[in-house]
Amino acid sequence: MAAAKLRIVEVTLSMLLPARTKGGLPASVIEQNQYSPPEGRAPRVLLIVPAYNEARSLPLLLDQLTSHYPDYEVVVVDDGSIDRTAEAVRRTRARLVSLPCNLGIGGTVQTGFRIARDEGFDIAVQVDGDGQHPADQVHLIVNAVMQSGCDIVIGSRFLGGAGFKSTPLRRIGIQFFSFWLSAMCHTRITDATSGFRAYNARALNLLSVEYAEDYPEVEAVLMAHRFGLRIGEVPVHMSERSAGVSSIGSLRSVGYMLKVSLGIFMWAIRKIRTT
Amino acid sequence: MHANGHALVFTTALVVFLFVLWLVRQRHIGERFAMLWLVLSVLMLLASSAAYPYLFKIASLLGVPYPPSALFFLAIAGLTLLIIELFAWVSKLNDRTRVLTQQLAILRERYELHPMRKGK
Repeated sequence: MAAAKLRIVEVTLSMLLPARTKGGLPASVIEQNQYSPPEGRAPRVLLIVPAYNEARSLPLLLDQLTSHYPDYEVVVVDDGSIDRTAEAVRRTRARLVSLPCNLGIGGTVQTGFRIARDEGFDIAVQVDGDGQHPADQVHLIVNAVMQSGCDIVIGSRFLGGAGFKSTPLRRIGIQFFSFWLSAMCHTRITDATSGFRAYNARALNLLSVEYAEDYPEVEAVLMAHRFGLRIGEVPVHMSERSAGVSSIGSLRSVGYMLKVSLGIFMWAIRKIRTT
Repeated sequence: MHANGHALVFTTALVVFLFVLWLVRQRHIGERFAMLWLVLSVLMLLASSAAYPYLFKIASLLGVPYPPSALFFLAIAGLTLLIIELFAWVSKLNDRTRVLTQQLAILRERYELHPMRKGK
């Protein structure tokens, strides 16, 4: 007990903050440019569930995740919820990491990336706490990461099949960003804003230190491409959120478009230093 | 500039300079920002005293017919740079806070919420 306390005291600011290169990114990200999938053992998979005031939808989602995927570890990152989200998680087998203050979706998901990286997981999957992401299709994107050689695999609503495909206005925005990302990444991306994604250790190494605070999905794809990561998509069926409201309201949509467009522009012109 | 106006600018610059020194002494402001404000207040002191005659030359070099306008332009440009520097610093602090918040939550989960993990 005393040893544990002492160890917390010994964690200094410089240890917590990553060592930075001149280009602004940790040297470790740039140095590790090869990822070898595990041989002879099942991959360790972490399901990251970012949650903000999702006490109503979380129990069902977590039950589904733990029953469908008993071998996967589930961590809920509570982004400073003011409802009973933490209580709801504690009643399940999932781990709970509670952020002391609200960081937004980017910082919340990135907390999961850090856990996955620090604890040596081979693959991490983001599954949103609102119930939109299909809990029974996680294996599709996990398998795709394992078999395709892609570093990031996006679960796409638009690659075929039925399911909820967002409102017409949002679909226009999604198609706009998908078009730009496809052109800039030289690969077909149909669902640029989907957060239902699987990442391998190489991608986690990068995203755990560099991930946009707000609306990070689109930027993350372009950034990953610029760092030489491979991105793929598999079709999934999504459903409407089971409870709560989206973080992107109608008024925020304009801000969303502007911010994400700026993010794309910044990553398009940003100099990537690899030495 | 009228002598009273001249004295007002000089006094203001002196007050800013002394106020920044007091803030540094009381540890209310870090050296990083104190340095910027001290440099700015020294420039103001110079502009309102020894360098005042040169203001006319600077104004004519800038193509500004009214010298006080040149002073306003230089002041606004300086303040804009300060604000940009402040935004850059806030962004850096924001990044650090985010990392610390994440690490705090991770450590808390590791050491408090999962008693079995303690001492690992």
